[in-house]
Amino acid sequence: MLSFLARRIAAALGTLFLSSVLVFLAVQALPGDVATQVLGKDATPDAVAALRGQLGLDRPAWERYADWIAGATHGDFGTSLVSSRPVGGEVSSYLGNSALIALVTVLFAVTGSVVLGILAGLYRDRWPDHVISTAALVGMSVPEFVVATVLVLCFSVALPWFPAVVLYGPDATVGQLLPAVWLPALALAVVMAAYIVRMTRTSVIDVMAGEFVTTARLKGLSTWRVVTRHALPSALLPTLHVIALNVAWLAGGVAVVENVFNYPGIGKLMLSSVQNRDLPVIQAIALISAVVYVVCNLAADLGAMALNPRLRTRGRTR
Amino acid sequence: MSDIHHPGRRSVLAAGVASAASLGASWLLSGCTGAASTPVLPAVAAKGAPDRGGTLRIARPPASDAETLDPASALSAYEYLGALYNRLVRVDADGELAPDLAESWEPDSTARTWTFRLRKGVTFHHGRPFTAADAAYTLRHILDKATASPQAAVLAPLVDPERLRTPDAHTLVVPLKSPNAEFPSLLTHYNCYVVPDGSAKSIGRTGIGTGPFKLESFAPAGPGRVTAYRDHWAGAPVLDAIAFYSVADMSARSNALLAGQVDLLSQTNLDFATARVVAASDRATIARVKNAQWYVLPMLTTEKPFTDVRVRQAMKLAYDPEHVVKVALQGAGTAGWDNPVPPSDPVHIPAHPKHDPEQARHLLKKAGQEGLAVDLHTSSYDPLFTPMALAYQDSARRAGIRIRVKTASADSYYTQIWMKKPLMATYWFTGRPVDQLFTQIFRSGSSYNETAWSDKDFDALLDRARAETDDARRRELYGEAQTTVIEKGGAMTPMFADRLVGISRAVRGYAEHGFEFDYLGIGLKGA
Repeated sequence: MLSFLARRIAAALGTLFLSSVLVFLAVQALPGDVATQVLGKDATPDAVAALRGQLGLDRPAWERYADWIAGATHGDFGTSLVSSRPVGGEVSSYLGNSALIALVTVLFAVTGSVVLGILAGLYRDRWPDHVISTAALVGMSVPEFVVATVLVLCFSVALPWFPAVVLYGPDATVGQLLPAVWLPALALAVVMAAYIVRMTRTSVIDVMAGEFVTTARLKGLSTWRVVTRHALPSALLPTLHVIALNVAWLAGGVAVVENVFNYPGIGKLMLSSVQNRDLPVIQAIALISAVVYVVCNLAADLGAMALNPRLRTRGRTR
Repeated sequence: MSDIHHPGRRSVLAAGVASAASLGASWLLSGCTGAASTPVLPAVAAKGAPDRGGTLRIARPPASDAETLDPASALSAYEYLGALYNRLVRVDADGELAPDLAESWEPDSTARTWTFRLRKGVTFHHGRPFTAADAAYTLRHILDKATASPQAAVLAPLVDPERLRTPDAHTLVVPLKSPNAEFPSLLTHYNCYVVPDGSAKSIGRTGIGTGPFKLESFAPAGPGRVTAYRDHWAGAPVLDAIAFYSVADMSARSNALLAGQVDLLSQTNLDFATARVVAASDRATIARVKNAQWYVLPMLTTEKPFTDVRVRQAMKLAYDPEHVVKVALQGAGTAGWDNPVPPSDPVHIPAHPKHDPEQARHLLKKAGQEGLAVDLHTSSYDPLFTPMALAYQDSARRAGIRIRVKTASADSYYTQIWMKKPLMATYWFTGRPVDQLFTQIFRSGSSYNETAWSDKDFDALLDRARAETDDARRRELYGEAQTTVIEKGGAMTPMFADRLVGISRAVRGYAEHGFEFDYLGIGLKGA
């Protein structure tokens, strides 16, 4: 078990290293010389040369990468080209706001869709299954900005229950953001839920057809007990990875939704940084997204190990 | 998104996402409200007097995460400027110069020295009286290299900051390096708002001016608030306060208006579908700023085949601007007939060559370019680019010109396409004084000369016009300049579009033209 853990963590670190190289290279490969792109139409040769010096672009790429990664490991992501403030502090205030949406989304989407998925699986091919599966398919097919717009129309314009957009900046307090969190979270949850519902349904159906469930039933256990004690742990196993991937998807999915709601989160910062060619901020956000991906997958693997006796005990039986 | 002086790069990606989103939004909205069946857009907003008091809420696109209240800066937060500050000279609704902090101004006989007589009894928000020293300082601040003001490029060839004189507290004398009878018009630019003497370091945060509102709070790319300055020299404003909110995404701005969170969308030209939805809503409606956006198809005169003036003339004669206005603007604008001076400008000349596809064919044949085929680049940067390009393509076909419309990425449109590809679609906000328009966009060697056109006779004509002190004669010369641009220049101007402004039904007294916004008179009904 320990060796499994070690291998898994080593793989995660390797992935992170590779993605940091890719992020760095991708930003270097943005169309046009970086300095020219940053300066736009004010790119006189003098200004370009000065900015190249200031950005350290006259040094070899591997040297710049080493500097960047060395800083990043202890939280120093450099200085924003636009606001001249440390990137770390700037990103973290936006990241905190996004975390609020992510938290609400994950709570609702994961618990809601697992419950719906179990219901659909238990009532396979009967009306609750049809309703849930169809709704999930629709949610899966409609892009998140359309879902977001429909929600705004229904719950801000027609029924004035929630604000349509956030009018505060990145320094908004949780109290100011809280009323505005629900619609974006719901929009993300609708898109996210579809995958989890379908995966949960499939595995519940698989598991409920298994011999050990039949045995449990024959022992005279109630359906509730069969589902919660025996079927659910096995059924959740394959779902776990889907959940992890979806939580990781949030890191990118928020970009569009946050812009529709003008929510001061990481997605909005990413978009404005790309427009401004604020390279240190783009690099930092891309790297943080990679970390979120890797950590989510690692957590899913470890969670799967906890739920799966075969994985958990493999070290001992050999 | 300081689109005010030029579509910059900032709004680009947002525009891409926004247009996808707003497409979805407007389609959904029109489906829901049935607005598509009532395609009438109001020509004017509600009339009538506002009630005194109230807070107006304005949603605005942030200039940058590093925006500032320094009017001279390239990153100034445009909407705040007119509320907080005054200029020496402004432009009135007829496009003529009008007094602001300068009560009068006159040149010497050669237009080499200008004397401005300044208003008395004006105080800044912090209580200090406004004097000539502040006016002189403002000019020096704009010309200071450290400020990096876009307007410095226009003023630096004319004004030597060392030679400004203030003979008394209410007189400013500006000696020029070369004669310019249009000099006061160059001071109407939104970079030229007057700031207190010695305020360069602090003005970006304090916003201390002489305008009808004083600053209460401001956060770059965030919310801010200004309150009525009761001691304003022209009287107190109608409103108690204005709240400004930064909303980068265009469809988010229209959603905020529809949901009643804001009253006015600044610097936002709504696309037709969204505009209909807004007009059909019972909270909001549409106001128009006439001919606010100047649409251009610049031909790079340094690239084949546009190096040949006959090809440029053929490209212009080949298409019908009225057709482009009908198709791309659905009538909400004016045909441009390749004249860059908007019809609302007093020096605009209405004369132009007629649409003549046969003559275009003939010119192309003479130039050895029969059956000309060229690429026309557009992008989703602005919702009207592609409709304009397609309408041009359709119209020019009659002259045997084959246009291939190519869509480029909105993200890098102004770095990879603008001034790089021989033919593309672009726009500017109107409101530039005519001398600045010609000098910045058509004179040889100017950094904004998007057709790379260089014509010594035209440059000489501009110099003569600037030096001409007789107003009538000078207007004639600017008329000649327009004729030259129409006949020889590289810029095609198919249309001037009205800006469709989303506005709450409670707003009264909304008046905006060019870079002028009436902050004194705007108010709310039932405030």
